[in-house]
Amino acid sequence: MNRDVCVEYLKYLAFTDEQIEEFMPKFEYAIPVLGLTEQDLRFSMDEWLPQNFDMQYEGVKKLMGATLRETVDIAYTTEYKKQGVKIVYGILPAIQTNYTAIKEAGGDGVFVSFADHWLLCGLQYLFHKVDPCLEKAEEEGMTYGCRHCALNKTRIGGYRKGMMAAPDVIWAWGFNCDEGPKTDEYINMLYGEGEWPHVISRLPHDTHWGEKDDEMVDRIEFLAKELKDGQREIEEIIGIEVKPEHMQRAVANCQRRAFKAGSLVQLVCKSNPQVLGANALTMFCNIFALPMNAGLEYFEDAVDTMLREGRKAMKEGVGVIEKDAPKLGCYFVPYAVPWIDRIFRDNGVAMTFSTVLTPNKKMMQAPSFEEPFMATAEQWLRMPIGQNMRYEIDSMIDKAKSNNVDGMVMGFFDFDRWLGAHQKMCAKIIEKETGIPHFYMESDFWEDRDYSPQALKTRIESICQVIKMRLEQ
Amino acid sequence: MQNILKELEAGSLDRPKRLKAAKKEGKKIIEYIGNFVPEEMIYAAGAEPYLMCRGGEPEPPDAVLEYMLRFMNPYARSLAGYHMLGLDPVTPVADLIVAQQLDCHIGRISEVMEYMELPIYKVGVPPDWKKDYTFDYYHKALLKLKDKLEKETGNEITEDKLLEEVKASNAINERLRKIDALRENTECPIGGTDFIKLNHYSFFNDTEYMVEALDKLIEKLETEEPKFAKGTPRILFAGHIVAVGDYVVPRLIEENGGFIAADFLDEGIRWYNWDVPVEGDIIKNIAETKFLVKTPVTLFQPAWRERVDYVMKLVEEKKIDAVVWYQLAFDEIYDMECTILAKNLGEAGIPFLKLESSYEYSREAMGPLRTRIESFIEAVKEAK
Ligand code: SF4
Repeated sequence: MNRDVCVEYLKYLAFTDEQIEEFMPKFEYAIPVLGLTEQDLRFSMDEWLPQNFDMQYEGVKKLMGATLRETVDIAYTTEYKKQGVKIVYGILPAIQTNYTAIKEAGGDGVFVSFADHWLLCGLQYLFHKVDPCLEKAEEEGMTYGCRHCALNKTRIGGYRKGMMAAPDVIWAWGFNCDEGPKTDEYINMLYGEGEWPHVISRLPHDTHWGEKDDEMVDRIEFLAKELKDGQREIEEIIGIEVKPEHMQRAVANCQRRAFKAGSLVQLVCKSNPQVLGANALTMFCNIFALPMNAGLEYFEDAVDTMLREGRKAMKEGVGVIEKDAPKLGCYFVPYAVPWIDRIFRDNGVAMTFSTVLTPNKKMMQAPSFEEPFMATAEQWLRMPIGQNMRYEIDSMIDKAKSNNVDGMVMGFFDFDRWLGAHQKMCAKIIEKETGIPHFYMESDFWEDRDYSPQALKTRIESICQVIKMRLEQ
Repeated sequence: MQNILKELEAGSLDRPKRLKAAKKEGKKIIEYIGNFVPEEMIYAAGAEPYLMCRGGEPEPPDAVLEYMLRFMNPYARSLAGYHMLGLDPVTPVADLIVAQQLDCHIGRISEVMEYMELPIYKVGVPPDWKKDYTFDYYHKALLKLKDKLEKETGNEITEDKLLEEVKASNAINERLRKIDALRENTECPIGGTDFIKLNHYSFFNDTEYMVEALDKLIEKLETEEPKFAKGTPRILFAGHIVAVGDYVVPRLIEENGGFIAADFLDEGIRWYNWDVPVEGDIIKNIAETKFLVKTPVTLFQPAWRERVDYVMKLVEEKKIDAVVWYQLAFDEIYDMECTILAKNLGEAGIPFLKLESSYEYSREAMGPLRTRIESFIEAVKEAK
């Protein structure tokens, strides 16, 4: 790999000279591990990123830079392992603090990340190149036709292709789908037992229509037990004790980041013309949702930069789409398939916030419990994705109304038998109850082999047309 | 033998009519979904249970697509689909539908049913079963179910009544085990398809009547001519579920030269190898048997090591020549298990065939399906 291209690429992602100097050895190590070529770097900076993201902002460049840092760090896990660093992975969705507290406790002696997510993002978000990982998993048994989740395939394929080391332990919060946590058992069974140590925490989806999951004390208690037990096992396996002060620091950091992410969402939703595209906005929101080993402080710097730039753009009346363009909310903006947002924008409609990553009123309230695991359990159950469908719908209605959107797009989760299964129905119910038009698009959040731009373009065009016509009426 | 099977089949088909009559007499009709819901508790509450488990037709799974993701398994979709098409005679008169909550497919379909204002009641089953407090969770879920059933029916579920029902259920299991044991000999008068059907009949015929019928059947089978010739390949039929009415695949196996000598299914079949102990706290015994003692269902975690070992044991003990894995379309966890089983069986040199169904048995689909089964069994025969 030509070093100049690497330097050019890092500069493009707003790395300073000093940062380049420091980062280069790891980057050069990771490039072949991740199967990247000079062509991939060129494609990323000449076509993919400028076409799909608002690269005019330093904040967005830094966001990409932070993502790259994390991906490179994942590729480096094999080396970390040799150096005796303990490797801890998790899967999403989860609450960041339990993982970042481990990092607080272990410092450089522990690597903590949602490796499959960041590997997929690094490869797909930056280079549009996660397919080899997916194909590897498919070749080895995660059949293409069954619509398995690309994130789980990345965990398998990435591991099998040597892009990430086997962890000392992976802590899977299996509170949504079945496949996420079962993937760890699958890797273990297929590639040698003990190969992929994992701790699993689960919770049955057994609350009834409209019951308030976060107000059911026995449910909170059970979940707290699961979390406490999980954390204890992790501590035993890696030999690192997570003390209350680590947890407190993790919570404080997470709150600060959540506040910043919330401010950015508000800024973008209020701006007219809209100052930032939904792809980047949603990715920025991951700052309070997902742990990172190397990228978090850079990620926070990216958010700070973006907030400054966003406010300035708002003041100057500069946006990424024309003034008064209709706005759409989304269940979860598919940031790993960024051209979807672009096609909406090309058709004069802006995607904005994701209901999943936008805190609801209850999530902003102080916890009702002092005991940290009870507080975390309550926090999880306050999140709409931790609730039964009707209760989740109430929260979605709240957000759709308060963000003043002209419509909502659901879908993009056709592989997810929990978070994707109900979206059609949510769309129907919310539209009926609020009058806000809801659209459902069958598609994939993580990859685009099945749903090409050609396949989705017509659908997106007609959604945009309908939205505009309704506004004209 | 055929007459007994026919009578039992007629008794099953007639069940909705009997339920309606029972309802008129003031009895409660309680449907249930999944083996983690103990039928015995419903009987003990003086209500009439009805297992929701129909499948094998393409229209019902399609009927829910207006509300639900396409990539859900067709069995789960059928649970609501038959009702939506007006083809479910029991659900409209059901006073309660008790649904086990273990996997996403049933989980989300239960919510569709709740949206349709059907009286769903959920029994949570935590998949991470090797922890004390997850067992407690399931045990408590059964205690809550007891309260719910008592409230719904106005009848107390006494220890004695429950014990009686558990004993009756064990009696059916015992007889099914006897019939299953006949399959150890290939020259057997009854095949796996009929055995699966017998399991289904046991859900829809009254317990006492079922026990008597099975006794008669066992007696008949002792003198019945073998249905399968010596040397017929012995097949282990494994997977998620053969729903009531979804008999095409097992039938094709046995029509094309195979003999289903053993089965390993999670649902739609009695867990006939696992009787509930009759001493002590019966609800706790039920919980322990289903949650801790029985070989874990695939959704449990961990499950696959024990399940592979169990399959290997069946292969050895039942002298299995080949394994047919019957999978429903988009059943992601079973699809993963299939890969694991295929690897393990492959290493042991056991032929393995994966068959997948979306309940689409059109003429176009049947041709290739039959050919695959035929050539697989042919190959197994040749290798024998
Ligand atoms: S299916 Fe959904 S919840 Fe499960 S691992 Fe994939 S994205 Fe996460």
